[in-house]
Amino acid sequence: MAKAKTPSAADPSSAPNVAPVPAPASPSESELLREPAELKYRRELEALRQNEADQAPAAWQLSPRSVLTYITGAKKPLKAKIDGKEVEVAITRKFFGDDSIVERSIVTLASERALLLVGDPGTGKSWLSEHLAAAISGTSLLTIQGTAGTTEEQIKYSWNIARIIAEGPKPENMIQSPCMLAMRAGKIFRFEEITRCVGDVQDALVSICSDKTIAVPELPDDPMVFARPGFNIIATANARDQGVNELSAALKRRFNYIHIPVVSDQKTEVEIVRTRSAELLERYKIPGRIEEPVLKLLTTVFREMRQGATGEGLSVQKPTTTLSTAEAIGVALDAAIHSRYFGTGTVGPEDIARNLIGSIVKEDLADLKVLKEYMSLVAKKRAASDPAWKLFHDAAVKVLSA
Amino acid sequence: MQDILADRPGLDANAVEQRARAVLAEPLYWFPVRHHSPSAARFLAEALRARRPRVIFIEGPAEATEMVQHIADAKTKPPIAIYSSYRDDDNVLGLAGIASSAPDVPAKWGVWYPLLPYSPEYVAIRVAKEIGAQVVFIDLPHHGLIAPHVAGEEEAEEEEEEGEEDDEVAPAEQASWENLAVESDFYRSLAETAGYRSWAECWDALFEVGGRHADAEEFRRDLTYFCAAVRATTSDERMLRDGTFAREDHMWRAIATTLAEQKLRPEDAVVVCGGFHLFMRRELVPAQVLPKGTVYATVAPYSYYRTSERSGYGAGNRAPKYYESIYQHTQGPVAVVADAPIRAMVDHVVAVLARGRRAGELLSSADAISITQHARMLASLRGHKAPTLDDVRDGIVSCCCKGRPEEEGRYLLAAMSEVEIGSAVGRVTPALGRLPLVFDFYRTIDELDLGETMGKEKKTKIALDLRQEADERRSVFFHRLAELGVSFAAIVEGGATNTLFREVWKVEWSPKVETQLIENNLYGDTMEAAATAKIDEELAREQDDAASVCERLLRATNMDLPGLVLRIEETAGHAIDADARLVSLARALTHLTVLRRQAARKKIREDVVKDLEGRCFARACFAIPEVANVPVEDHEEVLAALKSVAEALLGDSGVGFDSVLFVENVRSAYAESASPYLRGAMCGLLTETRAQPAEVLSQEILKFAQSRPEVMLTCGEFLDGVMATSRTAIMLGAQSLVEAFDVLLRAASWEQFLIMLPRTRKAFERLHDRSRVAFADRVAELYGLQEGEGDKLAQLDTSAGAAAWMARIDARVAELMKEWDF
Repeated sequence: MAKAKTPSAADPSSAPNVAPVPAPASPSESELLREPAELKYRRELEALRQNEADQAPAAWQLSPRSVLTYITGAKKPLKAKIDGKEVEVAITRKFFGDDSIVERSIVTLASERALLLVGDPGTGKSWLSEHLAAAISGTSLLTIQGTAGTTEEQIKYSWNIARIIAEGPKPENMIQSPCMLAMRAGKIFRFEEITRCVGDVQDALVSICSDKTIAVPELPDDPMVFARPGFNIIATANARDQGVNELSAALKRRFNYIHIPVVSDQKTEVEIVRTRSAELLERYKIPGRIEEPVLKLLTTVFREMRQGATGEGLSVQKPTTTLSTAEAIGVALDAAIHSRYFGTGTVGPEDIARNLIGSIVKEDLADLKVLKEYMSLVAKKRAASDPAWKLFHDAAVKVLSA
Repeated sequence: MQDILADRPGLDANAVEQRARAVLAEPLYWFPVRHHSPSAARFLAEALRARRPRVIFIEGPAEATEMVQHIADAKTKPPIAIYSSYRDDDNVLGLAGIASSAPDVPAKWGVWYPLLPYSPEYVAIRVAKEIGAQVVFIDLPHHGLIAPHVAGEEEAEEEEEEGEEDDEVAPAEQASWENLAVESDFYRSLAETAGYRSWAECWDALFEVGGRHADAEEFRRDLTYFCAAVRATTSDERMLRDGTFAREDHMWRAIATTLAEQKLRPEDAVVVCGGFHLFMRRELVPAQVLPKGTVYATVAPYSYYRTSERSGYGAGNRAPKYYESIYQHTQGPVAVVADAPIRAMVDHVVAVLARGRRAGELLSSADAISITQHARMLASLRGHKAPTLDDVRDGIVSCCCKGRPEEEGRYLLAAMSEVEIGSAVGRVTPALGRLPLVFDFYRTIDELDLGETMGKEKKTKIALDLRQEADERRSVFFHRLAELGVSFAAIVEGGATNTLFREVWKVEWSPKVETQLIENNLYGDTMEAAATAKIDEELAREQDDAASVCERLLRATNMDLPGLVLRIEETAGHAIDADARLVSLARALTHLTVLRRQAARKKIREDVVKDLEGRCFARACFAIPEVANVPVEDHEEVLAALKSVAEALLGDSGVGFDSVLFVENVRSAYAESASPYLRGAMCGLLTETRAQPAEVLSQEILKFAQSRPEVMLTCGEFLDGVMATSRTAIMLGAQSLVEAFDVLLRAASWEQFLIMLPRTRKAFERLHDRSRVAFADRVAELYGLQEGEGDKLAQLDTSAGAAAWMARIDARVAELMKEWDF
């Protein structure tokens, strides 16, 4: 396999105090447990770059239309010269759902405002954020994971204390944050789970969003770091965390919020689970794939419990857990691993049933009752006429009564 | 447009192009339009002024051609609508009883054809007046599309699955070729490739914004090509099914006949019709014979809201005000057409933000700038030459909605919707005259001094004292309007449920009042006639339902329809005799009781109502044994009915009723019923009507104490039934009841008690607080509380019964503590 190309960045060498933009160039792709999007899909990104027909905004690797194609897929493969060979590269769909979400996100990133992707857990916010950054900037690694312990220094910059004591404040003694690196290089900075951070820390972003600068008073000769064109922010926030550390009014108006809903139609959800679980199975070197009827059963259970109503119009209780598509993918993967190492190797409805409970019953034990109700009211009835549902029901009942 | 046609699977682009060219080259000038399209209207006006035809054929209802002069009148201001209705008086279609409520009620249909200031049809009519051209509506009258009833079809229809599409039903709204376009393979393929999420977005991107077309000829050519492709990928079967061929044959006949009769050359005429119909066959087929009947056509004021898709109008316009703004920005000598979408967007965004701010949203001018920038960039990304409404909507949501649109953004979405639709209301020239029913409405408004309520947006409350003659007449008028479903007046207080002499109504005039009146004109020319016909229609549907008939009788009385009252009295007698359902009869009895109380004031014969009441009471008594074993879900309904009958017996009208008949039937039902709850209810009724002493209840409870465990468990249900029907009489036997219940509880085990507890608790909760306290006192006395001690204990601010229990608990705790070994 070809060695990964270092994601390109605006040349930061002109700035004396610039550290290189991180890139996972050293290990070969096969050694990485999880490749970042710009590595995993580097052939697609390169093919799009070679076929570019539109003007890209300043410092963007691709034009907005090509970014959109990268994320929503193309019907026909693109011809490109990759690693010296003429090849046809299929552009796969990365984000399933309403394409206007992607369009609005891309447009926001090309504007003055920053982007905040909001949605329930597992709706693909970070996934979309990563792909947007990879396609626009060529790197998705300029990222901070927000937590209750995130500090303002982690957003802006800090100092190498030992060298400060020895030499005093100098540009080379500065430890730049991913945000500062993104600003200097004109790239996308990703801020995951921003609402987990306390308000004071979040507000460090106000001047970055509006003035596109970070003040460094410790360096009188070089007191400001200015963002280059191409810099912008993609933040993500869990809709269930809103209100925990809600953004201040000042910060809110500097962000465009794009809400990502839970996928509601079964066809799309089956497609997502199929694609993502296949990718994950490949990563874990699990042979085989999950058959369509099993995927359909899994997504049916998730959809019906999420909506609180079955296809036949029967009302059922909803669990307190968010039954996202990501959870469904997790169940499919767990079932495949379980089947590979402890079962027949073929994922059946009974494997799904065994691995379902952990996804549905998490924080609230009352959800166990909800699941039992679903089994006795819905699954049992279907089991009478459908062998797959029978296997699913019997295995679930066995686990639930254990 | 040719580039769009290319590479579409299943489409012969050359053939489509040739077909389009052929139509464009005809001496008869065809101009394709879409309803309510500003660009089509603008280019059409341009083409008409350039060609100056002598006659303009418009795809409008042929039966309404006489309305053209009124539509063109300077005093008529859109939004307006042509309304055409048809009544099959002689049942020539055989649909009476199928499309109407009963075989002797004529079937009726009505269709609205809205016209906005920028509807191409309206603009064509205005330009026709300007250039002195004649206007001819050429579309097939809507009743020509109604399929007559064919004997033997019912069975087949019943077998059809519910919800199955049935295009053969007569249209309820204006026909539109857009439905065919959306279903065509060409559009589907185009939408998939270009990423259009809706037909409206596709139309806007291709024909509405972006200045793709330099002049009318370019627009005409592109739309003709587009429609040729749509038509080429639409099946004949589909067009046959929705009546397209029948309509087009009528249109061509009208065109050809008019040209021949007026000795005009094709070059002297212009045809304005849906683009899809440009390819109609040019053959004179025998004229379709239209069904005979009463046809009305008129023009009425309309509103943007009714034209909007939000109101449920299918062939509507998704944002009437927004498109009006686009149209306005293309009018006038200094207008720059290419800037119109941008100007409309800015106007719209500013209006939405202002509306949102009034709803409490934090929205600034900076947001407006961001939205317009966002919308323009979205348009560019989506390949639109200028922002479409979809781009603007997405821009607003992206920049201003801070969270989930349906939650955090609900006020913003409401503001967007309001501003998109607008509140414009049309006006029709006084020269048109009014339909008789509308005339009668306004005449009555004047007569009753209600003129002040007209034209006000605000709701007004009017309190009526029915002893005053003027108020009585107003009440009759309002009741008639309510019967017709005209939303002018809604009753707030009074009616059958409240005081006899006072009613409060909420009155509000809106443009839809007039449209509702027009729709009701088919029922009759005056309010009285229409209300009578409407109630007649309802009666025909429910003539065997005593409750419904008696309710209609009451309503007819409120509406002062004396002739109808006499007829309903006969119908009511028949319905009471034919109806054997207790619930229905009990409701009928209640209505009749209310009616009898109003008899003197309403000048109806009290003896007749009394007779009906007596018959209804007797029938209801006979129906009681039938409900002895109804399913559990019907218990409450039956209980309410039993109480109604008992109340009638015990009330002021019950003097002449046969109480023995009631008691015998209740006893009979009691004996037959297997439901402890219903048995309890009937036992309670017998006690309440003094047909048995209160002590019988305690004997019944004692029977439970001595019965098998599974029977004993149902005592709570029995008691619940008793308490549901007996309130006062039960207190006479409170002492014995408490003693019997004490015996029962002693006989029950702890588990049995727990099972009985919920229903028993529910039973006692039915009692008034004072009755519950009285029962508790009896319990306390039973357990040793002496007379007078209760008062002392009452100082604890609790009931005597509770105090007795506390004393017992205290003593028991003391005993237990003695046994403890410290």
